[in-house]
Amino acid sequence: MGLARKDWGLLVAIGMVIGLALLADPQRTYWVNPQESAVDIVRQVTMLGLFAMGSALVIIAGGIDLSSGSVIAFSGTICATLMLVLAPEAMESPRDPQVSLAVMAAAIAGTIVVGFLVGSLHAWLITVVGLPPFVATLASLVGLRSLARAIIPQVTEAITGRASNQIQIFDSRFRYLANSVWIPFVVFVVLAIVLSFLLGRTVIGRHLYALGGNEEAARLSGIRTDRLKWLAYSISAMLSSVAGIFFIGEQSVADPQVLGMGYELNAIAAAVVGGCSLQGGVGTIPGTVLGCVFLRTVMDGIAKVIKRGADVYEGCIVGILVVLAVAMSQFRQTSGQRREMLPDALGWVMIPTLALLGGAISTFLIGPRWGLAVAAILASGLLGTKVRELAQARQS
Amino acid sequence: MGNQSIFEIRDVSKRFGGVTALENVSFEIQPGKVHAIVGENGAGKSTLMKILAGILTEFDGHILLRGEAIQFTGPCDAEDRGVSIIHQELNLVHQLSVAANIYLGREEHGKFGWLRQQAMDKAAEALLRRLECQVRSTDIVGSLRVGDQQLVEIAKSLSLEADVLIMDEPTSSLTEVEVERLFRVMESLRAAGTTILYISHKMSEVFRLADTITVLRDGRHVRTLPRQETSPGEVTRLMVGRELKPFDAKTHEHVGDVLLSVRNLFLPWPGHAKPWRLHDISFELRRGEVLGIAGLMGAGRTELMECLFGAQPASLSGEIRLRGSRVSWSHPRDALQAGMAMVTEDRKNLGLFAQLNVGQNISLCHLREIARSGVLRPQLERQAVTSTMEQLRIKAPGPSAVIGQLSGGNQQKCIVGRWLLTKPQVLLLDDPTRGVDVGAKEEIYELIRTLCEQGLAILLTSSELPELIALCDRMLVLREGVVTAELVRADFTEEKIMAAATGVAE
Repeated sequence: MGLARKDWGLLVAIGMVIGLALLADPQRTYWVNPQESAVDIVRQVTMLGLFAMGSALVIIAGGIDLSSGSVIAFSGTICATLMLVLAPEAMESPRDPQVSLAVMAAAIAGTIVVGFLVGSLHAWLITVVGLPPFVATLASLVGLRSLARAIIPQVTEAITGRASNQIQIFDSRFRYLANSVWIPFVVFVVLAIVLSFLLGRTVIGRHLYALGGNEEAARLSGIRTDRLKWLAYSISAMLSSVAGIFFIGEQSVADPQVLGMGYELNAIAAAVVGGCSLQGGVGTIPGTVLGCVFLRTVMDGIAKVIKRGADVYEGCIVGILVVLAVAMSQFRQTSGQRREMLPDALGWVMIPTLALLGGAISTFLIGPRWGLAVAAILASGLLGTKVRELAQARQS
Repeated sequence: MGNQSIFEIRDVSKRFGGVTALENVSFEIQPGKVHAIVGENGAGKSTLMKILAGILTEFDGHILLRGEAIQFTGPCDAEDRGVSIIHQELNLVHQLSVAANIYLGREEHGKFGWLRQQAMDKAAEALLRRLECQVRSTDIVGSLRVGDQQLVEIAKSLSLEADVLIMDEPTSSLTEVEVERLFRVMESLRAAGTTILYISHKMSEVFRLADTITVLRDGRHVRTLPRQETSPGEVTRLMVGRELKPFDAKTHEHVGDVLLSVRNLFLPWPGHAKPWRLHDISFELRRGEVLGIAGLMGAGRTELMECLFGAQPASLSGEIRLRGSRVSWSHPRDALQAGMAMVTEDRKNLGLFAQLNVGQNISLCHLREIARSGVLRPQLERQAVTSTMEQLRIKAPGPSAVIGQLSGGNQQKCIVGRWLLTKPQVLLLDDPTRGVDVGAKEEIYELIRTLCEQGLAILLTSSELPELIALCDRMLVLREGVVTAELVRADFTEEKIMAAATGVAE
């Protein structure tokens, strides 16, 4: 397997991001407190990586899984519900909660089985009913979270007598599962190794690449494409379930209203930044893991630099990085061809659009003076490009 | 010259990669006539028409339109100059109405871009009536029958006021009633002064309608004749009458017992004028034998192969026996495990994996045999790949090369190699030399002979008759899903095969 050239580029980019964050951070957090910073990033990468690998697997097999965030919320709910049903007294007493290990194990196993069932449902909708993967998993994205929100009040009322919208988790051992950091990290590393082995060294892995690259040719080569899709979608959903279990431990509560909200797009973004092609047939697990590391270090670096309210920018960062990553791979494919970046009237409209966007982001991140400067530089640069393209168009 | 020709084609040549599609074609097309262009599959008819319609803009030679040298920049440019083409595959937006399709891209509109929908509907309605077409201009195109869709395309050309109309095998999917109606339309268009270029390989149609007939063969112009001065027999001869390449046509003397037998195979085609794709097909294939399937485009060759390989989703009836026991595959995997292999006709879309490298493309079907409990063994895979590459003389920088960079012939050899690694007993080859250069063709012929001597049973289709004649021991000729002739080697002549394939009475 090893790392591809693309992966090394990503590794260099990660190093640069850390360096930049170190320089721009007035408190030099990474320098002063390297261990804490490292643990923080490891924790975040772990929690994203667990289910991003599932998204990557589905994307490599030529599909798309939009349901990860909702499956996380649903699985977390199922896990907490199972524990509440199996050990109601222990779950209810905040003083000295002692959920037995057997109950925990049963809840975790049950949750992963539910994940498998969700993935199987996706596979059935796609291969038997014939829905496009986008539609099948979009239905889950909307439906499962809503179902989870319906389950909790019903179950809490039946067991405790009071309807609640969330299930608290007081048990310290269950919370240690996630808060130890090393347990989720080891689980993540083991799963990453197993999945990379599956993709790179087994017949199934080769067939997954073939399926993603050319489904009809794969079928005509005697590959049972429907079974492979079942495998990919159920692995993806089960990985989201594992992440869901860790998330409720980390947050000490199962609250499907907010748990895992929008995470599916972070997962797809990590896979794409890590080199997976949405056309299918291309991508690796090491690449996806690096994609996660890159996304998380950028977000963490920005949090270190601006201190307050950095989580607001998460969406911005993911959006920009995905656009850049995909655009760069597109340009690499069509390198050598001359192409206009600002053609026609659309080009004129893009000059103020990009200048305003860049100006706004830098204003909020750094300050209004910087924002103005960035906007001015972008506007004049783009104007220059447009003028040059106009001149070239006249020449030819 | 009393009548200036509308099109004059001078020394037109066109190459696709290493394959010559047209070579120094020159002839003239007179205005107001129905001019038929005939030729075998791959004779260059469609390529020439695409050049005349501005779809292919890169070629060598000159085209004169109404005496003036022109160089179309695209199909729109050709339409502006009155040349319009109706494709074999119709170019309609199925979700839009008939009128919207007819005026697509040229919508009548008022100020502020309001559509004049009623005016367009009315105009479209008038065009359709002229064509004896009973559909309404507000109908959705996707809900129409193919025959009516074709008339919508013709209506579109009429609305362009095209004076040259190119029709590429327009009757291939029509019922007899629809064909009759189309012919009446063509006659009235001719009476109104429209020039019609009509591509077909159905002799009966050509001789009913055409004023002039041009025969193309292997990308060359053979002859242009007035209809009165020729006969279907002569045109058929001109279509096929090329010298046989010097194949050594030795008979295979090692034919053994029956491996595959097919009885009364029927593949339905629901909702179509002719409700079957294959009708009552029966044959036997013996060990060490090459059985050819001849037939023109759409005769059912590929469908037959797909049925035998379990790749046809439609439910077929009839009986397929392999080594005497009845089989019914639900997936190509079943066929593969029973010792069948199929090289598909459409290499790019149904054969190659562009994202996998050369070695991975070759080993794909062999992986299960060389894996240990599902885990690949790179050593064994490399051995299998390198020995295949040597055996088939695949020219590639190495097993990790990008498959797309190989020539068509070498790509095809990779796919053949993929299937040979599965050690098949029955090999289905669907036009294996399509888009393959001459050198690689010879190598593939050689390979077919060797495999045959080793006792494989081979079912072969080809769009090139000399190829079938040289390689096959027996031949079935298909026309519209029906076997119209079964020939043994002694009876192989291009005329006989063409006659059976086109439906000309001998």
